[in-house]
Amino acid sequence: MAAGGPSVFLLMVNGQVESAQFPEFDNLYCKYCFVYGQDWAPTAGLEEGISQITSKSRDACQALVWNFPIDITFKSTNPFGWPQIVLSVYGPDVFGNDVVRGYGAVHVPFSPGRHKRTIPMFVPESTSKLQKFTSWFMGRRPEYTDPKVVAQGEGREVVPHRASPSVRTSHSMAAGLPAEHVKGPSPV
Amino acid sequence: MAEVHVIGQIMGATGFSESSLFCKWGVHTGAAWKLLSGIREGQTQVDTPQVGDMAYWSHPIDLHFATKGLQGWPRLHLQVWSQDSFGRCQLAGYGFCYVPSSPGTHQLACPTWRPLGSWREQLARAFVGGGPQLLHGDTIYSGADRYRLHTAAGGTVHLEIGLLLRHFDRYGVEC
Repeated sequence: MAAGGPSVFLLMVNGQVESAQFPEFDNLYCKYCFVYGQDWAPTAGLEEGISQITSKSRDACQALVWNFPIDITFKSTNPFGWPQIVLSVYGPDVFGNDVVRGYGAVHVPFSPGRHKRTIPMFVPESTSKLQKFTSWFMGRRPEYTDPKVVAQGEGREVVPHRASPSVRTSHSMAAGLPAEHVKGPSPV
Repeated sequence: MAEVHVIGQIMGATGFSESSLFCKWGVHTGAAWKLLSGIREGQTQVDTPQVGDMAYWSHPIDLHFATKGLQGWPRLHLQVWSQDSFGRCQLAGYGFCYVPSSPGTHQLACPTWRPLGSWREQLARAFVGGGPQLLHGDTIYSGADRYRLHTAAGGTVHLEIGLLLRHFDRYGVEC
């Protein structure tokens, strides 16, 4: 096989974190960041962001709307390590402390075009009842020191989680792929 | 050598009678396949659904294979277990599905089953927990000795798998 040197392809993602549905919580904000493999590098746009704090709407669907923009372009030589967007949602508890309400991650879509994704969110849970009570009381819930852990497969088996509902994002994607390099998915 | 990228997530599971589920997964391939990057097997976190009955794992899968032949196309095999409040684990179901062979994003729903055992074992499972398990995990994805088993249905595991193929046309394979 001829080794012509690695050829580079670009991946542009733009879109928004639209809204969330969290029946039990209100006044939430979200942070996003991207996790990607070693062969990937962002060339333009912001890798991380923090949204505004939003309250639930008064109507029946009780949506928490952020409408928070995402815009980033990656370059890479290898699809391994395809970027994932990691979302963390935070909000105040009964005592006014800022606690984590959910983490979620999803791969950036592979095919060009418009995509709408609903991401389930989950929180780590203390295993002992005493620790659950003290963490509720002190406002210090179990939290990841680095939210990027959510995008990785290793080490998940040790932490029990509880799932709460979902954050909706919509994004569109354009990919510049040299045609002979990667046989990508066929357009829809 | 042709290359295959399998990138996606084990999203979660529905239809299991137990809550607090986790999944042990692995990808099995034939002899002509070589794993270039990625982790071939793993275990998800334990998830307890708060709303609805779907347990969500969102466990990422990112694998890069090189292959010399089509035989032994990758198969994903899954074992769903439930964990109770005492920390004991009980088998909820075994399942397998082939990784798709056309490029693009695919939503897969993998049904699962669990071995039943004798009436005594079923009674013990209902009251005390436990229950029969397979000794050799490859029965999950091979058909060889299945006729000996009597099984019951478990729930369904939902996966979203994206596939990228490379250099297959050089070997005359159309995908």
